[in-house]
Amino acid sequence: MKATQPYSRRVVSRLLTIGQSNEFVLVLVIVVLCLLVGLAERNFWNLGTAFDIARNSLETVVFALAFLVVLLVGGIDVSFDAIGIFSGYTAAWIAVSGYYDSDIILAFVLAGLIGLGLGAVNAVIVDRLRLPVLIATLATRSVFVGVLLTYIGAFWYNFLPGQLGDFHYWQVIRVPVGRGSTSLHPLVIPVLVLAVVLWLVLSRTMFGRGLYAVGGDAEAARRAGFPVRRLVFMALCLAGLLAGLGGMVHVSLGGNADPYELVGSELTPIAAVVLGGASIFGGKGTVLGTVLGAVLISLINYSMVSLGVPAAWTQVIVGLFILIAIASQLMRGRRRARSLLAIPSGA
Amino acid sequence: MLNNGGRRSARVGAMWGHVRDAVRRQWPLLLCILILILVFSAAAPDTFPTLLNVQAISFQIPEVGLLSLGVMLTMVAAGIDLSVVAMADLSGLAAAQFLHAFGFTAGGPDSFEMTAVAVIIALAVGTACGTLNGLLIARVGVTPILATLATASVFSGAALVWTGGYSVVSLPGSLRALGSPIALGVPVPIIVFAVAVVGVAVLLNSTTLGFQIGLVGANSAASRFAGIRLTRVLVATYATSGLLAGLAGVMIIARSGSATPDYGQSYVLLAIVIVVLGGVDLAGGYGSVAGVTLATICLAVVQEGFITLHLSQFLYQVAQGLILAGVVGVRLIPSRDLRHRLHRAVAVTRLAAGEVEPADRDAPVPKSEPRRPGA
Amino acid sequence: MPEALRLDSITKRFGGVEALRDVSFELRDGSVGCLVGENGSGKSTLIKIATGALSPDSGSITVAGHSYDRLSPREAISQGIDVIYQDLSLFPNLTVAENIALASHVREGRRVFDGRGSRRVASSLLEQLGVPVSPDDLVGNLGPAERQATAICRALSQEARLLFMDEPTASLTWREVERLFSIVREVRARGVAICFVSHKLDEVLDISDRVTVLRNGQVVAAGPCAEFDRGTLAQAMTGRSGWAERPPRPLEEALPALEVRELSLAGVFEHVSLDVRKGEVVGVAGLLGSGAAELVGVVFGCPPASTGEIRVAGRRRSIRSPIDAMRAGIGYVPNDRLRDGLFLRHSIATNIVSANIGAVSGFAGRLRRGMMRAHGVRAIESLHIAARSPDALAGELSGGNQQKVVLARWLLRRPALLVLNGPTIGVDVGAKEEIHNLLADLSKQGVSIMMASDDVPELVATCHRVFVLRKGRLVAQMTGSECTQEKLQAEMIA
Repeated sequence: MKATQPYSRRVVSRLLTIGQSNEFVLVLVIVVLCLLVGLAERNFWNLGTAFDIARNSLETVVFALAFLVVLLVGGIDVSFDAIGIFSGYTAAWIAVSGYYDSDIILAFVLAGLIGLGLGAVNAVIVDRLRLPVLIATLATRSVFVGVLLTYIGAFWYNFLPGQLGDFHYWQVIRVPVGRGSTSLHPLVIPVLVLAVVLWLVLSRTMFGRGLYAVGGDAEAARRAGFPVRRLVFMALCLAGLLAGLGGMVHVSLGGNADPYELVGSELTPIAAVVLGGASIFGGKGTVLGTVLGAVLISLINYSMVSLGVPAAWTQVIVGLFILIAIASQLMRGRRRARSLLAIPSGA
Repeated sequence: MLNNGGRRSARVGAMWGHVRDAVRRQWPLLLCILILILVFSAAAPDTFPTLLNVQAISFQIPEVGLLSLGVMLTMVAAGIDLSVVAMADLSGLAAAQFLHAFGFTAGGPDSFEMTAVAVIIALAVGTACGTLNGLLIARVGVTPILATLATASVFSGAALVWTGGYSVVSLPGSLRALGSPIALGVPVPIIVFAVAVVGVAVLLNSTTLGFQIGLVGANSAASRFAGIRLTRVLVATYATSGLLAGLAGVMIIARSGSATPDYGQSYVLLAIVIVVLGGVDLAGGYGSVAGVTLATICLAVVQEGFITLHLSQFLYQVAQGLILAGVVGVRLIPSRDLRHRLHRAVAVTRLAAGEVEPADRDAPVPKSEPRRPGA
Repeated sequence: MPEALRLDSITKRFGGVEALRDVSFELRDGSVGCLVGENGSGKSTLIKIATGALSPDSGSITVAGHSYDRLSPREAISQGIDVIYQDLSLFPNLTVAENIALASHVREGRRVFDGRGSRRVASSLLEQLGVPVSPDDLVGNLGPAERQATAICRALSQEARLLFMDEPTASLTWREVERLFSIVREVRARGVAICFVSHKLDEVLDISDRVTVLRNGQVVAAGPCAEFDRGTLAQAMTGRSGWAERPPRPLEEALPALEVRELSLAGVFEHVSLDVRKGEVVGVAGLLGSGAAELVGVVFGCPPASTGEIRVAGRRRSIRSPIDAMRAGIGYVPNDRLRDGLFLRHSIATNIVSANIGAVSGFAGRLRRGMMRAHGVRAIESLHIAARSPDALAGELSGGNQQKVVLARWLLRRPALLVLNGPTIGVDVGAKEEIHNLLADLSKQGVSIMMASDDVPELVATCHRVFVLRKGRLVAQMTGSECTQEKLQAEMIA
């Protein structure tokens, strides 16, 4: 009964595990979808498409990561879009009011800090009032939106000053395509870095492992010595920070600040997280899966547009996709469960 | 020996007693409403406490209230319905398209019968959507949050596709009559809402189906072992939510005279706020129709007060959030008390047996009921 | 062998109740000490005191030569005392390696999680104990024995010198128990002191070096394992000399209420045929994993059988769900009463009618609450349920009374056949007898009873006939006088 197996068998079993994993299925779906769309639309297979899809998924990725962090500890945070627009709009408004030279990095830092503060508000309410995260964020969501529209302003800033306004024109890689050229937006790099950093934090630090532990079994986490309350608190703060950054991604990529936007489109980041294999009950989910989920949704949107499908259908399709994804996750889960029930003969 | 008449009046008396008790149990909400009315009346003594204002409030109540009743039912069954608004929109749209297809518009031919058929169509569409939800949840096994999130997207997407994004305007007068006051000065929507409230209350408290919904919500495993037909109960629950959403859809198009495919997106969260305010047990198994009704009234009062005082509507949003946190915080303490009482009672019998340590604040309630998601 | 831990004259009161009185207990390095007692004897309290979760009212705790009045959890941990509770406190969504390593990471205040190092440590521990599990497996996918092993590895990785295990064999099959014991012996050989808490006598006699018996909060017997045998242990535990073997009255030939032919459930049991006569009490005996508990579940349609036929009162019935079974006149009292049997937050009256809602439904589906309450009152009286009123919450009752509520719920339907899965698990001694008497009464009234159990004295005392299952097959049928405890035991284990 040796626990160490020959190297080759370990490699095979590792491949099998990867093959059965949610992320692999996502990659497969993305590839298949690309092939299908590529068949229908010749112009699909070029770098420009990839660049565009990448750019369109940035906002979703950041928001989805914010949702993921709290979902891991078993909480459902519905205030992330409110925090996003609050932070993004406020940072833009501060720039417009001339309080600082609209340096883009400063804008992001500012938005992040505001988001962090709002996330801390969530955290305090959950911690002090001992409310379930869903209820608390339902409440804070209305408060954030209300305060934003009342006290900070309800104007739609069509043009933003300085770097903030130009940002969405920036390019980092320029590739000649046909008679023109296409470019990759530089924001892709920091977002990728953010994702990688978050992945490292979640998988390599005790904070990250603590989140998974609490989500898996909060009581066992408490017994093992994890500071459960503190972990939930910090998760909510971190989510706020990420949401704030997401809001600034939205504002800067759009080149304008509309305080009425975002709120009402919670579905997309949540869909990305769910497609990425996270469990709505907590304890399960990965950065890679979430990113792939966001890319998939972006891809679907892009395909709809390039195939000429009316925008209204996108909602329907995304909804159906989520259902299919969940159903297939369920079926895989059930298969595993059934094999656990049967007692192996000769055991 | 009571004669028949005596027994009947005794039963009526008992019913009133129940209603009284149910309302009395919602004292935090009642207090809230009272305080709000007093504050607003004091702030605007000429404009707030008028009949006109009451009528204005009573227009807002039915739409959201009907949606909230639907959400409440699903939460009692330990689920949730995030697709109520989408179902309402789709149902309203179906009715409007039906009328238009037969040429019934504002200023054109009008027929009471056609309107009645349109209403029935709306209700049917809503019920069908709800049934789909129920089947997804009970048969396929998708968790309610995700299932209804997805179907919300599908339903509202379908509505968008159907109209190409446009609203269906100019609906005939007989439909619009549903949204306006009748002889007694009481708007029809209020009557409709009141009937729905009574209906849902009767369903939940006095019928076997309602009884089973509560049991399924409290402990679905034990329900299965008790021979309760889970699929049937869950489908009925979500179908009813769909029916109520369809009714709300009718109310919406009657009031505004047009059907907009994505109207009222913010109503979903408002409905959840109302339901939670109304005292539903987040773990399932218990909900109060009186609570939901009062919560609807409470928030409508707040909104109307803000309008009267010319306060920003956005501040209304803030108020919504504060009220939610406040009332739930207060009520959560008594219900945590109940949980502690239960835990302590169970523990006392085990204390003597030396199996459990005394009142540990963070000690888990024995993992007796299957874990419920969502919070 | 030096003493690792000694408790002297420990007394502990909760409210007015004495959970422990003047209890002394010792554990030696490199040995297995068993703490034996029924539910409610004070075992759990003693463990909690020894591990610092509770502090005693009087007495002293001596660890590694130091004497304490009370132990704090931190001190206990620093002395190398660790405990594995019954729920194992594992994280099902994390890997074996992470489960093993996380707690010690937390304790050492580490910021970074050393994945590679954890896997190495886990691998080596798993190999040393001979557990065929990979450190990358998710704990949620493991079976109960492997989870148990993971929990032990976790304790070892924190260099536990004293390990308390609370009822570790509760959900293990017989083979898994054997594997667990070999691991325990390995751990013992490393010089760790192990305290094994159990009420399963055969296991106690198998694994322990020293036995301490608790009853009603006091030590009634203690000594080397060799000084005990099954009989003396049972007597010490229950305070009764032998189990009152009430020979049930044998039945004359009667109509079969239930007949089962060639019944099988894929992977669990196969080719089981048996019958239950009207008014008979039939026992289905078998250890965990033998298929006994699953068999009675199948009769209730939960899960439905793979092949075979079921006949109720002579008629062939297709039983694919609880509703089919209920229509055939079968009732079922499940194993996990708290999770599957009761609505804890609802009243007794509600629970009682929950399986027979038709009895309280009126015109057009109206719910007749008055009748519900009446049923509740009647049930409380006839079953002597210790509750103030039918409106009391089911969760507030003791285990025995809860079981009675579950029984009452089925009795309302007047089933022809009542199937029970482990009827007296977690029920205190007094209530146990009441329930047995109740079952006997029922059988006299003509209700047939089929009972799955691994409690040998219970089976012998209450059943007219006993069918024995072992490893998924029917191996024996015993009737009346030939069914003795020794023979039954032998057939179950063989």
